[in-house]
Amino acid sequence: MSLERKDDHDHKGWMKSRELSPLETIYLTTLIWLDKRLRVVDYLEILEDLYYKVNMQMPKSHTEQYNLDNKFWYWYPLYALGSFSTIAYIVAAISGALLGFYYAPAAAAADGSATVAYDSVLLIMGQLNLGYFLRSVHRWAAQIMVAAVFLHMLRVYFTGAYKEPRELNWLIGIILISLTLVFGYTGYLLPWSQLSYWAGQIGVEMSLSIPLIGEWVAQLMFGGFTLSQATLQRMYILHVFFLPFITTAVIALHIGIVWMQGIAEPH
Amino acid sequence: MSDNESDDDVRTDGSGSGIVAPDDETPSWSERKQRTQGLSRLTYEYFERGRREDQDLRQQSDYVERDVLAFPAWPHEMMRNLALTSFFVGMILFVAAALPPEMPNPANSGVTPAIILPDWYLYWSFGLLKLGPLNPDLAILGGQKIMADRTYGVLANVVVVGFVAIVPFLNKGSARRPVEQPFWAAVGMSGVVFSLTIAALSIKNLIPMDSHLLFDLTFLVPIVSATITYAVLKTMREGYMFTLNRRYYRLRPPK
Repeated sequence: MSLERKDDHDHKGWMKSRELSPLETIYLTTLIWLDKRLRVVDYLEILEDLYYKVNMQMPKSHTEQYNLDNKFWYWYPLYALGSFSTIAYIVAAISGALLGFYYAPAAAAADGSATVAYDSVLLIMGQLNLGYFLRSVHRWAAQIMVAAVFLHMLRVYFTGAYKEPRELNWLIGIILISLTLVFGYTGYLLPWSQLSYWAGQIGVEMSLSIPLIGEWVAQLMFGGFTLSQATLQRMYILHVFFLPFITTAVIALHIGIVWMQGIAEPH
Repeated sequence: MSDNESDDDVRTDGSGSGIVAPDDETPSWSERKQRTQGLSRLTYEYFERGRREDQDLRQQSDYVERDVLAFPAWPHEMMRNLALTSFFVGMILFVAAALPPEMPNPANSGVTPAIILPDWYLYWSFGLLKLGPLNPDLAILGGQKIMADRTYGVLANVVVVGFVAIVPFLNKGSARRPVEQPFWAAVGMSGVVFSLTIAALSIKNLIPMDSHLLFDLTFLVPIVSATITYAVLKTMREGYMFTLNRRYYRLRPPK
């Protein structure tokens, strides 16, 4: 008779009493190790529920039920535009993070001499290995993302996918397309070239034209009524800090809602 | 819990699990939810109703409920996604390598470039700033404009985005296909064409055309294309497409 207490939860003994393959042993050991610390079992039901929802309950889709594939096949490629914009966003994020190692938003003079910001972009394009390519990738990924988002919106409009349960996601989509455009605009200003400067000028003029809150908006977004170092600094922080967090969160929400509601199929 | 039963009752020395096992008096979670009051009670009742409704709908439905007979996520769907994604990323890399961006001169407030333009995707917004000629003069104000032209332009942006945002609340009903709703398809078509013509208006310096004519065309072309879309869809609805889908419409009559 053993002096050790009888333990219902003697998992090791239980494992020994069974003939397990090495793979199963490793799996169970890991699972038990995790479960002792995190009590995974309590969440298993949720996971199981999720699994069944995702995989097991697959009702016939609308097109399947009414055998409409032959009439709507030409819509299907357009259903990839949403993921294309997400992929382009990821590509832009990665290349942008790499560009961020070399770019400095500083010395925003406007007297025609090269500023630190301008020089750092020139350095990326001229000195850095693959730097020109990196900048090109970042720029094109952004352009393609904007185009894909716009076409995605058209697809949603012309297939009536914004209707009843999905109005909220349409509104979120409007927010997303606006964020994408602001993303592009703030990025456009960063090299502080002639184009950047005068695009910034338009931006300041536009915000000053807003009734009542115009001056406040100009202060907030551009750091003043004329373009200066503050403008470049703000554009930079918007572009690499605020917008990435906000946009990523809203994209996650957007896709999460699509996941929950399912894709609106062609009817 | 044979462990607890065989052991002494309650230990005060800090050893032991310290967890009090639920007895019969402890309400279960569903009981707790039922006993709540006010808003949380309402929430509970609503969710119970929703669950029942879901259940009923599922039982009534003639959908075929399948076990895992669908297209498998792994590896088939994942491989397909991987292929599509790498193709798309490859396309971006290819375009980037083929068409690298140029770098203009450094910023100079003294030299105004011949053409001031934002990036192409903001042309539409820039074009809306040039709608000054449409800004009405009011007779009451003695021919004065209510707001400055540029305020008017900014407001036009808000109006356009706002209209796009409220589309789902204007166009209701179950119609999905453009053929089913020629009017809204025509509205969409005019929107697409307008976004192109207004972009063209914003770069009017570059377009070899009289700028007044361009201004008129900016608004005429969308209307014309909307009319054409409407006519074509109406015809399709009456004719070919309708016969083709008669069976479908019998199952799901258009509203």
